[in-house]
Amino acid sequence: MQNKFRGVMQSPVTPLKDDFSLDLPTFERLLDFHVRAGAPAISWPHHKGESLNLTIEERKLFAEAAVKVVSGRVPVTIHVSALAVEDTMALARHAQKIGADGILAITPYFWTPTLEAIEAYFMRLCTSIDLPVLSYNSPSYLAGVEITGELMACLIEKLPNFVGVKEASFNSEKFLEISRAALALRPNFAMLTGVEFLLPSVPLGGVGSYSAAGSICPNLCNALFDTCIAGEWARARELQFKMTRLWHLFKDQYPSSLKGGMVIMGRPVGPTRAPLPTATAERQAYIRTQLEELGVLDSEPHGW
Amino acid sequence: MSFNPGLVHTPLTPFLSDGRIDFELYAKSIEFHLRHGADSLAVPMHAGESVSLSDGERRSLIAFAVERADKRAPVIAHVSDAGTGIAAALAKHAQAAGASAIVATTPYYWTPPPGMILEHFFQIGAAVDIPFFVLNAPEDMAGSKINAALALKLIAKLPNFTGVVDSSLDWQFMIEVLTEASRLRPEFALLAGTELMVSAGAIGASGLFSALAAIAPKLVRELFDLCRAQKFYEARALQEEVAALRHIVKPGGVAALKAAVRAMGRDCGNPRPPLLPLEAGAAKMLAAAIEALPALAAESRSW
Repeated sequence: MQNKFRGVMQSPVTPLKDDFSLDLPTFERLLDFHVRAGAPAISWPHHKGESLNLTIEERKLFAEAAVKVVSGRVPVTIHVSALAVEDTMALARHAQKIGADGILAITPYFWTPTLEAIEAYFMRLCTSIDLPVLSYNSPSYLAGVEITGELMACLIEKLPNFVGVKEASFNSEKFLEISRAALALRPNFAMLTGVEFLLPSVPLGGVGSYSAAGSICPNLCNALFDTCIAGEWARARELQFKMTRLWHLFKDQYPSSLKGGMVIMGRPVGPTRAPLPTATAERQAYIRTQLEELGVLDSEPHGW
Repeated sequence: MSFNPGLVHTPLTPFLSDGRIDFELYAKSIEFHLRHGADSLAVPMHAGESVSLSDGERRSLIAFAVERADKRAPVIAHVSDAGTGIAAALAKHAQAAGASAIVATTPYYWTPPPGMILEHFFQIGAAVDIPFFVLNAPEDMAGSKINAALALKLIAKLPNFTGVVDSSLDWQFMIEVLTEASRLRPEFALLAGTELMVSAGAIGASGLFSALAAIAPKLVRELFDLCRAQKFYEARALQEEVAALRHIVKPGGVAALKAAVRAMGRDCGNPRPPLLPLEAGAAKMLAAAIEALPALAAESRSW
C-alpha cells in the first residue's frame, strides 16, 4: 500500500496582521492556494509557520481552520512539536479530535535527550492517539540530537502508526542509515526530506519532501518531484539546482525572507513575529532580483 | 584544465612488523588495485595513513606508486599538511615524480578562518602545473571545511584548480559548489570522497575516491558503473550493500580497514602508532560481520 504522504507537501506560512495577530482570512486563502496549485498534502505549522512563536491556543485555532478549508481534498497533518512535551501531547489529541490525517513531531527541544528518552517520547506520543505519526529528524538545529537508524527500526517494530520521517540532515550517510533500517521493516515508510532535496534522496527510496519555497514556486516543486520519479535525471538536476538556489536565498532569515518573497508574488502574508525579523523593503528588492534571474516570475502563479 | 580520474582507489599503506613501509607488499597492492577496477590511484590518502608517514616516506611512496603504475593509471598525490610550505614542497615533488594530479585538504590542527584556508590552497595549487583537487572532509578535519564561495575564489586565482573531492556528504554543499563553480569553469569536477555514490552521482559527481575498494573492489566498481550510466534506481541495492559495509568498517577507521583486508586474505599489517590495531575480539567480530555480507561473496580473497 502506498503511503499517502508523498510528493512535495506544502507547509503554509502563518499570515499575520500588521499588529502581529493571526490573519485568519489570509490563512484560509493561502491554504486554498496551495491546494489549487497542486499540493499533494498540507502540513501546518512547521518552523516555517513560526510554530514556536504561536500560543497553543493559536495553534489549535488555525489547525481547525486548516482541516476545515482543505476539507478532505488532500491529507492534512498537524505539526505538534512544542517546547513542553505536555503541550505536544495536547496538540496531538486535538489534531485527532478535529479530524486531521496525521501529526508530525520532532525530537524534544532543548534538553538534548538520550536515545532512550527519545524512544520513550515517541512511544508515549504514538500510543496516545490513533492517527499516523511522522517523525522529524533535524540534528543540525537540535545540538546533534537525532533518531538513529537503530532507534527508527525499534520504533517501527513497536508502533503500527509510526509511518514516516521528515529527514532534515540533508546528508547521504544519515539518509541511508535511516532508509536502510526503516524500509527493510516497513516498505511503505515515508522517507521525506525536510526541504526539497529530491534528487539525492528519491533514488534511495525517498518519496517526497516538505517544501520551503512552495508558496513562491509550486510548479517547480511538482515538476522536480515528477522528473525524479520518472528518472529524467538531466532535467531533474536542472530543476534541483534552481530549487537549491531558492533554498539558499530563503534560508537566510527564514521564514521572513519567504514572507518577503510572497509580497513579490502577489500573495502578501504580513510580518514575522519576533525574535525573527520582518523582511525590509531592501531585502524584498533583492529577493525580486533573484526571482527574476531564476525566471520564477514568469513560470509561477502570481496572486491568489 | 580538466581531468576526470573516474573510480579512484586509495590503497592502504602496508607496514612490516618493525613499522617500516613494506614496499614489496605495496607493489602487490598496487597490482591488485589496477587489476580490480581502479581507473586511478590516490596515494597516500588518510586511509593510507598519510599523516603517520614522514615527509621523506611520503615522497618515496608517491614516486614508487607512479613507477609501479607505469602509466597504466594516473596517480594522484595526496599532499595535505599542517604547514602550507611543507604541503607546497610535497606537491612540487609529486609533480616532478610524475604524479598526474594532486589533492589536499584544509591544514591540520590550525582550524583557520576562510582567508587562511584560501591562501593555503592557493600556495599549494600554485606550486604545480598539474590538476589540483581540494578535499572537503569536515569530519576528518575537526569541522574545518570549505564552501562554494571559497571554491569560486580559488578558481579565479588558480587555473589548475580542477575540482572538489567531497567527503562532507552535504547535499547543499555538493549542489552549490558544482553549480557555482561550473558556471566559471565548465569542466569543474565534483568527485565523491566516499562510496555513497548514488546521491553524489545524481547531483552530478563524475568520479569517486574509494577506500572500501581495498575490501570489495567488485562491488564498488559495479556501483560506480551504474551511477556513471545514470542508473540511480538500479544502483540503490548495491548502494545499500556498500553502506552496510561502510557501517561495519567506519567506526574503527584505518584499523578496521586493515582488519577487513586481512579478513579478505590481503593482510597489510597493522596501522602505525598512534593508531592501534583492533583488539582480537573486535577484529573477529568485524571479520564475521564482513563474512555475513552476501554482496562480498563474489570478491577476491587473495592478492
